[in-house]
Amino acid sequence: MRQLLVMTASDLRQHVRDKSVIIFAVLVPLALMYVFNLTFGSMESIELEPIDVAVSVPEGDELAGALVDTLAGLDAVQVRTTQTDEESARAMVRDGDAALAVVVQEGFSQGLAPGQGAVVDVVEGETAGIEAQVVETVVQAFLDRVNAGTRAATAGVLTSAGPVDPAAVAQAAVHSAPAFTTTEGEASTEQLSFSGSLVAGQAGLFLLFTVGFGVLGLLTEREQGTLARLRSMPMRPGLIVAAKALTAYVLGVVATGVLLTVGSLFFDVSFGSPLAVAVLVLCVVAAGVSLVFVVARIARTAEQAQIAQSILAMVLGMSAGAFFPMVASGLLGRILDLNPIAAFMHGLGITRGGGGIADLGEPIAIMLGFAVLATLASRLVPDRGAAA
Amino acid sequence: MSSDSSGTTAAPAHQGDVLVVTDVVRRFGDLVAVDGVSFRIAPGETYGLLGPNGAGKTTTISMVAGLLPADAGTITLLGRAVGPRHTDVKRHVGLVPQDLAIYPELSARENLVFFGRLQGMWGRALTARVDEVLEIVGLADRAKDATKEYSGGMKRRLNIGIGLLHQPTLLILDEPTVGVDPQSRNAILESVEALSHEGMAVLYTTHYMEEAERLCDRIAIIDSGRVQAEGTRDELIRLTGELDRIRLTGGGDVPEAAAAVRALDAVASADADRHSVLLAVRDAPTAVAGVVTAATAAGMTLDDVEITRPNLESVFLQLTGKALRD
Repeated sequence: MRQLLVMTASDLRQHVRDKSVIIFAVLVPLALMYVFNLTFGSMESIELEPIDVAVSVPEGDELAGALVDTLAGLDAVQVRTTQTDEESARAMVRDGDAALAVVVQEGFSQGLAPGQGAVVDVVEGETAGIEAQVVETVVQAFLDRVNAGTRAATAGVLTSAGPVDPAAVAQAAVHSAPAFTTTEGEASTEQLSFSGSLVAGQAGLFLLFTVGFGVLGLLTEREQGTLARLRSMPMRPGLIVAAKALTAYVLGVVATGVLLTVGSLFFDVSFGSPLAVAVLVLCVVAAGVSLVFVVARIARTAEQAQIAQSILAMVLGMSAGAFFPMVASGLLGRILDLNPIAAFMHGLGITRGGGGIADLGEPIAIMLGFAVLATLASRLVPDRGAAA
Repeated sequence: MSSDSSGTTAAPAHQGDVLVVTDVVRRFGDLVAVDGVSFRIAPGETYGLLGPNGAGKTTTISMVAGLLPADAGTITLLGRAVGPRHTDVKRHVGLVPQDLAIYPELSARENLVFFGRLQGMWGRALTARVDEVLEIVGLADRAKDATKEYSGGMKRRLNIGIGLLHQPTLLILDEPTVGVDPQSRNAILESVEALSHEGMAVLYTTHYMEEAERLCDRIAIIDSGRVQAEGTRDELIRLTGELDRIRLTGGGDVPEAAAAVRALDAVASADADRHSVLLAVRDAPTAVAGVVTAATAAGMTLDDVEITRPNLESVFLQLTGKALRD
């Protein structure tokens, strides 16, 4: 045990001095997170600015008043309405005092009686942006509901259901409960935000490089001759491999922890319960270390191993959605689900949604199962480096 | 001592032998890298494995150091079996691999402390021994520098220092002077001589004949995985049947001098020309005094006396049919 710790401590000391591990395990992924977030982060959340809307509605028209109330009560965007006459409303837009003018003509409600469609003029100013489009969409939706109501009323007359006031029906339609509602489901609560996916994905992808520094040290030791000297020491040969695994594990846990922590702070991401996140980190590092041991057995040289490791890291990282979300279904989807990086990200999605350790059964099972299988594979495949 | 059919002396079977290697075989697939090698090393003895690259030297010492298991045969160190799984006996072995087995990011002191701890050394005893070894290998003044800053010779010296740090019973040196400048090479050879005088058994592999002749009490000539011959330097040379040569150069009565020295027991033949006599003699260092006396007494005035002795190169050539460095 003492010899195991001596070798691990020496390995860690050399990695810290070498600085490569700090660069590739921490600085490069953080830089990539920053660049990706800068490039694509704006796609995630658009901050809508308040919008000034000039409104011209006929006095005493209840339906038109309902439209104004609807606009003023929007949650998605703050609408500052100014009620004025039609001419002034259009002038405000021309002068840039309002981004949008909504003009409801005289007889709006009365015009519905013959079953005609409701019409509202919307005037867009030069300063109109996405907020104006939101308001236009809301106005259109309002009119659609009014029109639907009047058509239903007209149809009632035609089918001799008795005289019906289309305006009243339209008002009822406007004030009735929405036709459908949305609730946040399990899938959405378990999904990471764009920034969250970026931080988690980059941490998972670079984890495979980081643990490589530890495990592939075996090949470096073989090439520089120190492996023979280590094997001549009075200790079980398995301790050398165990020390490399422990080194890789420590590097992986520290680097992933740093990336998640710093990434969370830089990009304002929360992954939920620290304890549950820590469990996920421990599991994904175990999977990463075991995978790199397979690489260490298959590769003849450190250079070969680094190439193989890079390919594996990119394939697993990208298929997990480290750069962009990946959507797959069927068999391919099931295969991708077995990717430990994907399981790690899925687990972080659960913790981000408020889940605890008890909710992490599936991702933990995938990561630990992967670790067990990869460890078995590393014991079974021939050590091509030793034979070289 | 016991003699084999070739006239060389095998190591004496002695209970006090540090290392006994008996009929060891090691195969890599179809290749038989070591084929029935046997030898033994006594305390304080420096034993050389002399052979060209690929002869089986490194495979042999890998088995002796417990890095590789033998496919057949036995290896015992201090009477205990040696092998990859026999970890305790490894405490008595100091290995100096052919490659520079040191960590470039660590200083000389850190390298020594690291390997010392793996050998089970701790605390003041380790610190004191590290200081001692740094003095022995001449690196005390650069002990804190990262070894990646060292010259090739300094790295070689540290490589040896790590091997002898824990004062092993058997020190194995695998081609320790390859790629070393003459000054460092001499320092290394002096270190090995000093260790041998202190009683450490040394197993030394080389393809440099001069090193084997200078350092080794006994030498095994190894080729194609087999020990071709074993013995002291003189015993091996006698195998060739070649005699030492003495050339007398000068003036006076050269023909008379040739006739006089030809009559000496140690002289097998003597050929004269106008200014010199070339003699074939047995054991030139012993015979030279009598030869000079006889020649001068016969009227020859000597300007120069040159002795040439057959070396291990010629032994190797005769035994294997190829040069040592082929």
